[in-house]
Amino acid sequence: MKPSRAQLEDVLSTIRAARYADIRFTETHQQHVKVRNGEVDHLSSTVDRAIGVRVLVGNGWGFAASSDTSEASLRATAKRALEVAAASNIASTQTITLSDVEARIASWSSKYDVDPWSIPIERKIEHLMHATEPMRGDPRIHQASGEISCYRQNKVFASTDGSHIEQTTTEMGGGIEAVAIDGGEFQRRTYPNPFGGDFQAEGWEFIERLDLAGKGLQIRDEALSLLSAPKAPAGRFDLIIGSSQLALQVHESCGHPTELDRAMGLEISLAGGSFLQPEMLGNFRYGSDLVTIVADATIPGALGTFAFDDDGVPAQRFPLIDRGLFVDYLSGRDTAPIIGRRSNGTVRAESAARIPIIRMTNINLEPGSTPLADVIADTKHGIFVDTNKSWSIDDLRLNFQFGCEIAYEIENGRLGRLLRNPLYTGITPEFWRSCDAVADRASWQVWGLPNCGKGDPMQTMRVAHGAPAARFRSVEMA
Amino acid sequence: VKSESESFEILDRALRAANADEADAVLLSVDQNISRFANSNLHQNMSEISAGLTLRVIVNGSMGVASTSSFDDDEIARTAALAREAAKHSDPLQNFTGLYRDLPDPLPLRTFDERTAHISPAEKATSLRAIFDAHRDVQFAGSYATSASSAACANTHGIRRYAPLTFADATVIALHSKGSGYATRCARLVDDVDILALGDEATFKATLRLDTVEDIEPGAFDVILEPPALAEVFEWLTMIAFTGQSYEDGSSFLVDHIGKRVAGENFTLADDAADESFLPFPFDLEGLPKFRVPLIERGIAHPPMVDKAYADRLGFPPNGGAWHLGASDHGTAFHIALAGGDTTREEMIRSTKRGIWVTRFNYVNGLLEPKTALMTGTTRDGTFLIRDGEVAARLPNLRWTQSMIEAISNIESLTKERRRVATWYNMFGGTIAPTVKIKNWNITGKQGAGA
Repeated sequence: MKPSRAQLEDVLSTIRAARYADIRFTETHQQHVKVRNGEVDHLSSTVDRAIGVRVLVGNGWGFAASSDTSEASLRATAKRALEVAAASNIASTQTITLSDVEARIASWSSKYDVDPWSIPIERKIEHLMHATEPMRGDPRIHQASGEISCYRQNKVFASTDGSHIEQTTTEMGGGIEAVAIDGGEFQRRTYPNPFGGDFQAEGWEFIERLDLAGKGLQIRDEALSLLSAPKAPAGRFDLIIGSSQLALQVHESCGHPTELDRAMGLEISLAGGSFLQPEMLGNFRYGSDLVTIVADATIPGALGTFAFDDDGVPAQRFPLIDRGLFVDYLSGRDTAPIIGRRSNGTVRAESAARIPIIRMTNINLEPGSTPLADVIADTKHGIFVDTNKSWSIDDLRLNFQFGCEIAYEIENGRLGRLLRNPLYTGITPEFWRSCDAVADRASWQVWGLPNCGKGDPMQTMRVAHGAPAARFRSVEMA
Repeated sequence: VKSESESFEILDRALRAANADEADAVLLSVDQNISRFANSNLHQNMSEISAGLTLRVIVNGSMGVASTSSFDDDEIARTAALAREAAKHSDPLQNFTGLYRDLPDPLPLRTFDERTAHISPAEKATSLRAIFDAHRDVQFAGSYATSASSAACANTHGIRRYAPLTFADATVIALHSKGSGYATRCARLVDDVDILALGDEATFKATLRLDTVEDIEPGAFDVILEPPALAEVFEWLTMIAFTGQSYEDGSSFLVDHIGKRVAGENFTLADDAADESFLPFPFDLEGLPKFRVPLIERGIAHPPMVDKAYADRLGFPPNGGAWHLGASDHGTAFHIALAGGDTTREEMIRSTKRGIWVTRFNYVNGLLEPKTALMTGTTRDGTFLIRDGEVAARLPNLRWTQSMIEAISNIESLTKERRRVATWYNMFGGTIAPTVKIKNWNITGKQGAGA
């Protein structure tokens, strides 16, 4: 199943035509349990194994992958990668330089207290039933559901640079949802996050800590109240964005545009490019002085944490936005030299069957020094929004529109009426420059997003974002 | 790619290992090559040969699903045990009458092309080099994908299906310093995807009206939407309205509207895998032969797509919507077909006093308000102002926020010509659509300004 180190080194030694080559093996286990309206709605297990060989011949990359992980398949896959690289050279028009990397022999695993797979399925179901059953009963509640996900990936990386690295990541996620419908009005409330809940590189202890059962009635009541709440008004308002929604704002309007491959146009055919161009490094005011955003692949327990990326480069922490100034990109070994830098270790692939590309790690808005209560108290007339409902941003990551599950009026420093269907919109740098308050660490939380899409074929990557609440002046509500 | 005999050998072992009241299994295999280019340079080139098995068991009326990418006896036995374990802890499916038995044979549709299956990465790279060299005034980005696949399914009642399929899909974006253009084609046959013609088409759009760049203020406009723009909208509409799950949970606008008018008389949308001019495929992955399924016929709403479990649960006739065994969507449309009309794109432009011609959308989201199918997105790669029947100027990329229920009631005309558009999540089909002219589309912002 898993190729031995000797097998990998032997195959690498046969790829003589390549300037560089690496081989990856992944074995990925996933389990998903969902209950809905008192029934088990979905219960599945998947196991996926893959090998991938990447070679650089001349100025052409070749990549080949297979779900057959036998030694014969590994040798055939390496041969195919060389054929693909030869084809690439026919239409390759640019020179490829790889930034240096030290050879590393290493082994790393994420930490957990209770193995997700040690918890019997019936206990997971019982946990979700216990959380969701009290949410049912009102005829306007059409759906009370909950889900728990378990993920584990074992990955081996070996390269012609002499590295042999094995990493294992274990993750859990969970959340609950209440859907209320009354006539043509539809409202959804989730806890702690939509789209499967929150995710961390931890074990069952994370699910216990979420206290799903303790939040069910609250989101049920909020979903019901939203049915008859007034629509959030249109116009310009001072907007306080809660930690969960601001995490997604960071993802879409800072994480993606600071991916160097996007900025170089390499992803333009599918996901688009970036307004942040290399000549703006060090001199473009992205946000106000209060805005510092770091990429940190070293936070214990977060989804974007690892020891080495899929180029074999060590995980790092570095600023992308430093007190409002755009200072760095997320980069890899073949992109960083284009702007005269070294890789900062952010290249990852969904599995060994996919090409490693630049991906977010944990992209975090650093907390400020003001308690959230004081930020609210300091707001005369505004709106508080949280929990994402919809998201859209243009191909350069400038014009965005976000919908949130919930909003509250702020009048004279106090949260007031509940408001439904808030939509806010803006232009990325104008928006971040309007940030005049960043709440302190008490409101800061790391949110796991297991579904960041990029690449062709589409790769779903597991990333995270630390974010506090923050205030933005004169934001347009639609 | 797994042959028919290889596929059934694995499926038969899986069904024997199921040890359940009923079981069915799906084996998918793919041999694909995707060449990606940017800055007129081939920068990513991948080849993948992979296969996956999904086994579903029914025990005491409850369902369990497990999947694997390894097919030795031990792994299949382990997968079967996981599926049985899942079924043991699940609730009985409501009103479930069992997996399919005694189905008619599927239509003999052509799904495979030898040349497409065997085109080499080198031949594709040579074609890409030709378009790079043919247009030095623009830079190209895009992808050129070809694949050969197999899909096989079988159940313990003797249903056995196998189909090989090929797919070719190319997207070309031409980038000029003042604008960009886009062209895309997909087909079962690679020879139906003319990469050089796509380069010409994208370059035409990238360089059209570079002399006149104008701006507009937000408001309601007549829009002419090309097939790639419509495809993204209808993919979202399928997710929020035409799945068995969205109907059952009440979020679909079809609820309480089946048999009623929800769109204009000129709007007909179907799931149509049986159309040989589209991307034909003979069966869904529960083995039901595919046939045309109306979703909205001349403006009248029809039932959603369902799998067997939700056909029984909701009391609808089965309609071949199963593409992932046991998936939460419980039926979806993988072959979205919008009927054409009787006009041409040029006639649409000539008949427009003031409007906007849109090549494609970017990052559409359909979760704003599902009951009205309120969506938002932006335009990209070719947005033009039409004034007095002529293409008057290039426009910046625009944001729109629009109820699709309103939009499909506001269609003024549709072209006779339809084009196929691929989607990233669907190896079996995609969307086929004409170009459509819609009145009163809400433009709410633009790339450099708030919306």
